[in-house]
Amino acid sequence: MAKNGKTAAPAVTHKAQNQLAMVFDLNKCIGCQTCSVACKTLWTRDEGTDYQWWMTVNTLPGKGCPMDWEQMGGGYRDGVPQEGTLPTRDEFGGGWDFNYDEVFYQGKGNTVHLQPVGKKPTWGPNWDEDQGAGEYPNAYYFYMPRLCNHCTHPACVEACPRGSMYKRPQDGIVLRDEENCRGLQFCAEACPYKKIYFNYVKKVSQHCIMCFPRIEQGVAPACARQCPGRLVFVGYLNDAERPIHKLVNKWEVALPLHPEYGTDPNIFYIPPLSPYRLKEDGSLDTETPRIPNEYLERLFGPRVHKALNTMKSELAKVRAGGKSELLDTLIVYRWHTLFEPFTRDPVEVGGPQTVQVL
Amino acid sequence: MSRLVTRRSFIKGTGAAIAAIGMSRLVPLPSFDRIMTTAARTYSSFEDVYRQKWSWDKVTWGTHLVDCYPGSCSWRVYTKDGVVFREEQGAQYPQVEDRVPDMNPRGCQKGGCFSEVMYGSERITYPLRRTGERGEGKWERITWDEAMTTIADAILDAVESHGPESIIHEFGSGEGGVVHGALPSWRLTRLLGGTVLDSNGLTSDFNVGMYETFGKFQFASSIDDWYHADLILMWHMNPLYTRIPSAHYIMEARYNGARIVSIAPDYNASTIHADLYVPVVPGTDAALALAVSKIVIDEGAYNAEFVKEQTDLPLLVRSDTRRYLRQTDVEGKGREDQLYFWDAKANELARASRKTLDLGDTDPQLEGTFSVKLADGSEVEVQPAFALLREHLEQYTPEHASQTTGTAAGTIRRMAKMVIAAKRIHILQGFNTPKYYHGDLMERGMALLLALTGNFGRQGTGMRGWNSSQLVMANNLKAKPGFEGFMELATNQLDLEKKLHHEDPDLTAEMLAIGVEREEATNSALSPLRMSGMMIPPHFYWYWHAGYKDVWNKREWADTGMKRRFDEYFQEAVDKGWWDGVVQPAQDQTPQVLLGACGNTLRRTRGGAKQLLNHAWPNFKLVVTTDYRMSATGRQSDIFLPAAAYYEKTDFRFPTAHLNFLVFTEKAVEPPGEAKEEWEINWLLAKKIEERAKARGVNTYKDRRGREFKFSGLLDRYSYNGEVGPSEGEKIAEDLIFDTVRAGALPEKTNLNTFRKKGIVRFTHVGIDAVGMNMATDIEKDKTINPLQWHTRDKLPYPTYARRIQFYIDHEWFLEAGEQLPVHKPTPKMGGDFPLTMTSGHQRWSIHSMWVVNQVLARTHRGHPTLCMNPDDMKQRGIADDDTVLVHNDMSSFKVRVKISPSCRPGQVVIYHAWEPYQFPGGKSYDVAIPGLIKWLHLAGGYGHLRYYRWNWVPQQVDRAVSVEVEKTA
Repeated sequence: MAKNGKTAAPAVTHKAQNQLAMVFDLNKCIGCQTCSVACKTLWTRDEGTDYQWWMTVNTLPGKGCPMDWEQMGGGYRDGVPQEGTLPTRDEFGGGWDFNYDEVFYQGKGNTVHLQPVGKKPTWGPNWDEDQGAGEYPNAYYFYMPRLCNHCTHPACVEACPRGSMYKRPQDGIVLRDEENCRGLQFCAEACPYKKIYFNYVKKVSQHCIMCFPRIEQGVAPACARQCPGRLVFVGYLNDAERPIHKLVNKWEVALPLHPEYGTDPNIFYIPPLSPYRLKEDGSLDTETPRIPNEYLERLFGPRVHKALNTMKSELAKVRAGGKSELLDTLIVYRWHTLFEPFTRDPVEVGGPQTVQVL
Repeated sequence: MSRLVTRRSFIKGTGAAIAAIGMSRLVPLPSFDRIMTTAARTYSSFEDVYRQKWSWDKVTWGTHLVDCYPGSCSWRVYTKDGVVFREEQGAQYPQVEDRVPDMNPRGCQKGGCFSEVMYGSERITYPLRRTGERGEGKWERITWDEAMTTIADAILDAVESHGPESIIHEFGSGEGGVVHGALPSWRLTRLLGGTVLDSNGLTSDFNVGMYETFGKFQFASSIDDWYHADLILMWHMNPLYTRIPSAHYIMEARYNGARIVSIAPDYNASTIHADLYVPVVPGTDAALALAVSKIVIDEGAYNAEFVKEQTDLPLLVRSDTRRYLRQTDVEGKGREDQLYFWDAKANELARASRKTLDLGDTDPQLEGTFSVKLADGSEVEVQPAFALLREHLEQYTPEHASQTTGTAAGTIRRMAKMVIAAKRIHILQGFNTPKYYHGDLMERGMALLLALTGNFGRQGTGMRGWNSSQLVMANNLKAKPGFEGFMELATNQLDLEKKLHHEDPDLTAEMLAIGVEREEATNSALSPLRMSGMMIPPHFYWYWHAGYKDVWNKREWADTGMKRRFDEYFQEAVDKGWWDGVVQPAQDQTPQVLLGACGNTLRRTRGGAKQLLNHAWPNFKLVVTTDYRMSATGRQSDIFLPAAAYYEKTDFRFPTAHLNFLVFTEKAVEPPGEAKEEWEINWLLAKKIEERAKARGVNTYKDRRGREFKFSGLLDRYSYNGEVGPSEGEKIAEDLIFDTVRAGALPEKTNLNTFRKKGIVRFTHVGIDAVGMNMATDIEKDKTINPLQWHTRDKLPYPTYARRIQFYIDHEWFLEAGEQLPVHKPTPKMGGDFPLTMTSGHQRWSIHSMWVVNQVLARTHRGHPTLCMNPDDMKQRGIADDDTVLVHNDMSSFKVRVKISPSCRPGQVVIYHAWEPYQFPGGKSYDVAIPGLIKWLHLAGGYGHLRYYRWNWVPQQVDRAVSVEVEKTA
């Protein structure tokens, strides 16, 4: 699938009454993929969704998933829609089926081994895991969890010629009416984060729904609630008393990914610190950060420097015996405070859902 | 038609169809995807489609009964239409200590998709019998009765032809249940007089150096205790891969002001969250620890009070013999293990108390040379071990150590500075050290560093071994259920303790508990059932019956510090009786039957895919695997028995002090097909053995030690005097709880219903057996757990020869090896002389080989085994990312695909544990190239704590730092 020659509709901001947001503290992310699996077991087990991972965790620097998505365009520049590329199935990769039956039961012994059926894979949702960049012993990397940004200014919604996509006014979640969708995939071309997949069975586009059925019941999204690293904050962006607002607006340590894409994402990241570099003689290089600042600036924009400095100075303060409200917030003494007000236990929702099946 | 009805009838229909068409029994379960999407439906709005997806019929508790550390993650299991559709963490862990983060949610991506394994293509649901050659992959479905008859007859044949010891039970690391899993088979094998191989010996998870130093290794902090540290050294642990649900405490400790240091050959995943990275050449960590220790001593920054009271470093060593000064030397009589220090206050020789660490009015000298008059009238020069240590450390200047470790001298000094400045140091060291040939020396070095700085016995300090205590697992030993069975054991225990106390009145409760374990290990003296040994160190089996004699005696690969051939040491250890009671199976007793219970010996045993298959396998008349999934060992078996998976039975994950919660799993759904709970499987087998013995007219027999066994009544003995029926495993679960409540380790009135309601219960005490006592600490309801406080606070002696944290080991072999003090020694050239060093570590995507072939997890990474390699090493060999390479050495070779890794140290290649061999071309995994050496010194015995009992002082194979070359291949 090649380029989309079409120009997207003029930029419109879809202001929701309340905007749900998430903050990922990358200094706590362990790259374990539990969020991805949590999402997978809940939403993308159906046929046609095998290769879909609405929540991915990639190693940065890296090509990510779909491969080289940052070079695929989309979004806006100065409010003007940018041409986008539709990622191919191969660029996403993954979703392999394996030859279990052949290995276990077909009497072929060790002439066969377990491997994907068909074409040899060359890419997948996490192909360049832990690769990163730099040279030993100054190699570097960190983990970047990504899901739909549920943007305030969603290019996908504006690109859909059928009006199948919408941003819910009550919480700002971006959804697509799959019954109305005809699989034209303009949304996927327009999305600069390339987090929209195509269901090859149902012939519709699909993406993260921010677990709206859970949100509606006061339960945090699966990726956040199941994160063993306790690093995902969920809440309303304008809830001044709660962590998200403070991290994003007060301390300004949580930043959107690629703000220059112009879609105003509602997923924010606390940028990564890293161990000191080692000089040739093994002494510490306290001047040059291990992860180059330019690289982080490319991801998070120029505000990243202030955010990192704030993190470093708060760490220094605590190490000198002081107190830090910011770090206390990030420690998360009580797990459920990550999600307020979405702190209900799914079990409390009460067993079988009462949705009417006609 | 409602969706529910459609799905139920779909599953039912599929099951019936499979049963009807014979060979299709081998077809995997109906695909989950298809079950979920069969029914056509209409919803009132599009959003309802998704709302309906997140719905369920019932919720149960679940956990994963695997050997994962610390595991014990509590999950909610959501079932819809008779199918487990997903699981989500229970997240019910209370905040234990104020201002310390709680443990929620706990659970990783593996736990998060166990339901995928349950219904995955690797699941086995019917008893199978091999029809082709072993490993060929030709099977037929048989009935349970056919399977049991075949196994029972093979067991009877084995007893008759080679004696009961020729029945080998492999515990493995695949099962962490306390009711089911490997335990029923363990019990049955012991009742038959068979050989149950020591599970720590099999997994190489025994922290030898810690054991040598503390007389125990089964102690560990709770994970929330890490939070109290102000310096965390991640050293031989990669918690971002291996401690996924616990790792948050490290980052949270950092936000609380702690500094994080990562010490590793490669810039591993955990290092990304460190403040300082300390690179080391693989296998040289002891030199690093000793260099830092030297700086601590040289700068006078050691904690003299702690060193004098808690360690053996004040004890006097004779200059002439390099042995401790003993009571037998000084008085010509008395105890060999009564040792001395020089009291500075009275300026005279003083006996080091064996009863207490409390120094009273004395003040031991750490330095100096003294002259002591012996009973025979001669005078000898003696020195405190500390003085010897100081002299010994002269060779570990930062510059000198730097040449060994590859760590810059400046970095070593920086690390020392951090160590000296810290108030609470915790070393996060996992099970990686024991897998190095000289891993014990590394651990002794780490322990030295912490002891010198007084970093034991306070919150936020210490290092970790392993601990599975608290739960009173008397079910393994009881003849009868309930209080009666408990009292039988308690009475036997008291008798044994009396006997031990008579031999040495200065034994602590901990030492008595260890003594009782040892009596059970070697004499089956505790259980009224008089079974075979609790566990048997596997090295005799390997050496005599699996072809390792040749490998271990290979001179080119040997430890250069050996003065004699391996064979000589082996023979001497046996001749001196150091292993009496556990030398089994005997050299002329070829193993006949292998009962693999949820383990995977052909994957796990280092070099086993070569050695076991070529040497032991041809002699096995029958190989049986019980598991819920097809493993490499399952593929090479004659009979495969399908087991119930973790959400299909009532059980607990064996607890560990890292968490201190007992975590419950219960039956969400019935096992699929004909899979059965392990308790029932072995119940049926016991019954069948008894039946077949009667039919064949055999009954009593003896083992090599002359103990008599009977086939008649076997089922009664297995089933607790006939009181636990085949489907009554829950009775055992209930009994375990009652015994533990009786022992005071669970709150009063706890029972199975408590768990059905709450899923988890926190222990109130460490437990009453040796493993529990090894923790040597109180559990407080509002405090994180830190071990060894009975020693540091209450001054109870340690269970070592010297009754102190022991750095000077004067066993004759340790002196011969030059390892009386911690020292650095180079890793032997295992596999030959090749330019690359192959290391390993637990991978992120599996717990051992569980989950590793699961489709969902395989889709979260490259989906195939990889060898991580530095780009420079790749370039030199013309290798590109994802190329297939041949990895070879003098042991064997295997093919694997390369993963480019700038984080890898040049000269190092990393292959993570534990891929299934059938994921490699030709079925040859990296395991084949690992010689699987054991360190000869670990055959030593007859010295204080250097004596075997279950899980302790057991020789184990090493697999890290194997010498290999890598070349591009097709």
